[in-house]
Order: sequence, then C-alpha cells, then structure tokens
Amino acid sequence: MNVKLENVSLHYGRRAALKDVTFELKRNKIYGLLGRNGAGKTSLLSIIASLREPTSGTITINGKQPFENAKLMQQIAFLYNKDYKDESDNVKRILHYTAQYRPNFDMDYANYLIEQFKLVQNQPVKKFSKGMQSALNATLGLAARAPITIFDEVYLGMDAPSREIFYKELLEDQEKHPRIIILSTHLVSEMDYLFDEVLLLKNGKLLLHEETDALLSKGVTITGNAKNVDNFVQARKPIINEQRLGDTKSVSLYGELLEHERKAAFEKGLEISSIPLQDLFVHLTKEENENETTRHFS
Amino acid sequence: MKQPAIFPKVAKEMFSVQMSWTVWFLGIVFAVNIIKIISAINQNTEVDNLYNAVFVAGTIYMLIIGIISISFLRHYVENGVTRKDYFKGTLLAALGLSIIIPLIAYMVSQLQLLLLKNIETVSVKTAEFNSVVLDVDDHIIGEIVTSIVFAPYIDPQNHAWLALAVFSINLFTYYVLGWFISVGFYRFHAGAGLAFIFIALIIVSLEDVFLRVSLDLPVLSRYEMLESLPAGILLLFALLLIVLALSIIRLLTKRVAIKI
Repeated sequence: MNVKLENVSLHYGRRAALKDVTFELKRNKIYGLLGRNGAGKTSLLSIIASLREPTSGTITINGKQPFENAKLMQQIAFLYNKDYKDESDNVKRILHYTAQYRPNFDMDYANYLIEQFKLVQNQPVKKFSKGMQSALNATLGLAARAPITIFDEVYLGMDAPSREIFYKELLEDQEKHPRIIILSTHLVSEMDYLFDEVLLLKNGKLLLHEETDALLSKGVTITGNAKNVDNFVQARKPIINEQRLGDTKSVSLYGELLEHERKAAFEKGLEISSIPLQDLFVHLTKEENENETTRHFS
Repeated sequence: MKQPAIFPKVAKEMFSVQMSWTVWFLGIVFAVNIIKIISAINQNTEVDNLYNAVFVAGTIYMLIIGIISISFLRHYVENGVTRKDYFKGTLLAALGLSIIIPLIAYMVSQLQLLLLKNIETVSVKTAEFNSVVLDVDDHIIGEIVTSIVFAPYIDPQNHAWLALAVFSINLFTYYVLGWFISVGFYRFHAGAGLAFIFIALIIVSLEDVFLRVSLDLPVLSRYEMLESLPAGILLLFALLLIVLALSIIRLLTKRVAIKI
C-alpha cells in the first residue's frame, strides 16, 4: 500500500485545519502522527479514511483516489474515540457487523482480544466505561487487519495495563500481518518505541516526516560540570531543556552534533546521550511565546 | 478481480435492523387492537380493522424510521462502505419494509375478521379515511395535515392487490420524506432543516392529490381539474415526486463529510 498526499488543505469555513500537507507513506510500518490538540491530526486522518474530502490538494492510495472508491475504502480502518452512548448493541453484534465489511477480519483474534481486555460480551456497549469502549475500538482496529489501519487517540480512555496489552498486540500483529498503521497521539512518552516513522503536525502544517531513529539523533543531552556544559553549548543550537543539580548541569539541544563536536565534549569530560522523543515533540511544537522548561534542583 | 457488490449486504443489514423495530411496532398496534376487541365484546361496540389500524399508524412510523436512517451513514462510511452503497442499501431496505408491512397487516387482519365473524356482539368498523378530505375547511394547513394523517386508502376487501400496492406506496413515500428531512438537517444547519420539512410537506400533499385523483378517490374541488388527466400520467407524476426526493437525498449525501 502507498498513501500519498499532495498539497492537501482543509478549511472549516474560514478556519484552515490543514495547510498544504504533502507526504508519502510507502511501506508497511507503524507511523506516529504527533501534534498538539487542534494541530489537525483528526482532520488529516479523516481525509485518509474518506470521511471527508480535502478543500484542495489530492490524496491517492496506490495511485487512485480513495474517496467513494469501494475497493479502497474497504482497505482502510479508522478507529477514533467514538462515543458509544447510544449504542445498544453488544460486543458480539458489533464484531459481527464489522466483520461483514472487512475482508480480512479475524473473528478468532477479535475474541482473543476481547478476553485479553476482559470485555463483557453480552452487555450493551453504551453501559461500558470509557476505557472499555476504547478497548473495543482497539479490538475492532486490530482484528480488521485492514492494510491501512488508523488509531486516532483510541487509547486515551484505557487504563495502563490495557494500554500495555494494546501496544504489545499492535507490535506482534503488525509483525505477523504487516500493514500501514498510523497512530495519532499527543501522549508521546509511552508510545515512542512503537513508531518506525514520525510525522509531526503543527497548526495544520506538516513540520517533519522522518524515521524515528533519524529524528532522535537530532536531539542530544550534554551532562557534566555546569561551567564546562555552559561553555560547550554557548551560542550553539536551540536549547530544549536545562536541568541543574549542584555543580552538575544537563542541557538538551536540538540539532545533530558533528564528529569533532562530540570529540570536544568527550575531552571536556561531558557525557552525551540522546533525548526522548517527548522532549523533541514539546520543543518542536511549542508556540513562539512559550518558554522552554528550565528546571533547577538544589 | 471484480469484488462482490457491497450494497446487498447493506440492504440486508438495514432491512433486518429495521424489521426488528417493525416487529415491535406491529406488536404494539396488534396488542392495542386486541385490548380494544376485548372491551368491544363487553360493550357491544365496533372495533377497528387491524389493517386500518396499521394503515393509520404505519405512515408516521415510516416517517420516523426514515428520519433515523441517516444515522446509519456514519456507521457505514466508518466501516469502509461508500456513500453510494449506503444509499442503494437503504433504498432497497425501505422498499422491502414498504412491501412487507402491508402484507403482514393484511394477513393478520384477515385472521382477525375470520375470528370476529363468530362473535356476534362485535362488528368491524368500515374505514372512511377518504371522505375525510372533503370535511376539511378550504384551508391549506388543514389540507396538509389531513393529507399527512390520512393517506390514500383502498379497501383491501374489494381490491386486495391494489390496496396493498397503494399502502406500500404510502409507506415508502413517508420513509423517503423522513430520510429527506434528516439529510437536510445532517448536511446543513437547523434553519435549512426546517426548510426541508416544509418542502417535504409540499411533496406529501402533491403526492396525496396525484394518487387520489388517479385512484378516483374524493378530492377537494380545486383539484378536480386534474381528473381530466389519464390515471397513468398522474401516477407518473406521483412517481416523479418520489424520484425527485430520492435524487436530492443522493445529491446531498454523495460527497457529504462525516463529522466525528
């Protein structure tokens, strides 16, 4: 499967939700779509899932427009934080209805997941807690085995053990049945290990699309004697984060270090480590008037 | 590889879901009717024919489930079904319901008549729906209300097939108009939705007149000039009105955004 967006914009009245977004998802990988609340994540995913059309620009899947294309629409599963307050059907019926329209739906796997998430089979879904409803969405998305599967913040209501089950199943099932999986989130810290590639949206614009490893190499933390650290980072790359504990200081920078810079740091007894995706995310999506965090411990 | 059509699945699912509601609806109408029969036996009064009871309540029932049918659009598109397949499936399911409800009502009412024949104290009312239109004052609002409550009626004891066909047309018309109104609200804001209700009222009134004249049923004097037209042409007009409403539904849902 190949998903290609070219100059996609979406307007709600006068408000632009997406501005000139262009990218291509070429391989069966797990893609993390990151962005703050209101960055345009759901709008973008709605377009990929044919829930709406872009105001301008084009989207193609395997070279064809997916909107109202029966063959392609069947291949895309879009799961989001759906409100099931009016849903009087039980899990069994919902699985049955979903399976009818998903050619690769695996009912055995769905039942296995239902057991894992401890969902009650014969209770109306509207009586489920938010977390259980989220687990149902996760189940539907995984068991559908659609070649393009989108999870838009479905994990928000789940408790920590359920989220762990979901992440584990996601990785295992993706390995057994490779497909394009897009996970959108603003909870980066606990999901960063899942992403092969990261797409970052900010105010409706695509800020970057990179392999996770490549992106992580762009952030470094330098730790050591406060004076030496200050000398080293002076007038260098944007500072993401600073922490100080007595004489020891740790500074996170955005931007790759060159070989001679690494050498110089080593010679000054400074330690270099990579920084978490979460910190990069916060740095890259901050607004002009927001300050980076500086923490002092004493 | 050509993939199998999806709309028959939609039609089957829509039909079975709505049929399960219909079983409840008919069950309630029948239960009320049975209670009326019991009280009629004790009081030596007349009872409604079951067919007529379904005839009166059925159109409003179809209007309501037609309004609800738009909520299935999101369900289907989220499951990778095209808006086109949703439209075709919903249309077929509505046709199915419109055919089966009169058949059930007719069969059960025949059973009712058979049973009541042996009970001398009870007699079955004859329907006088059609003459009601003539009792209305010459006022457009009264006329519209009457055409909503009393759809064109043929007595099934005289012309069973024609009666069932007219009943089916009535039910289908009301479903389509319910769907039409809900599409107006779904696609646009509430103000436009109200305009769709107004248009639906005009369509139902015209449909009512065309059917009545073509079936030689009583109409208000202002429509008597239509009686010179052949019944076939009037039926065609009635059909075109439904096609018009369906075309607008399709046009407005063809590329509609699913709001989540």
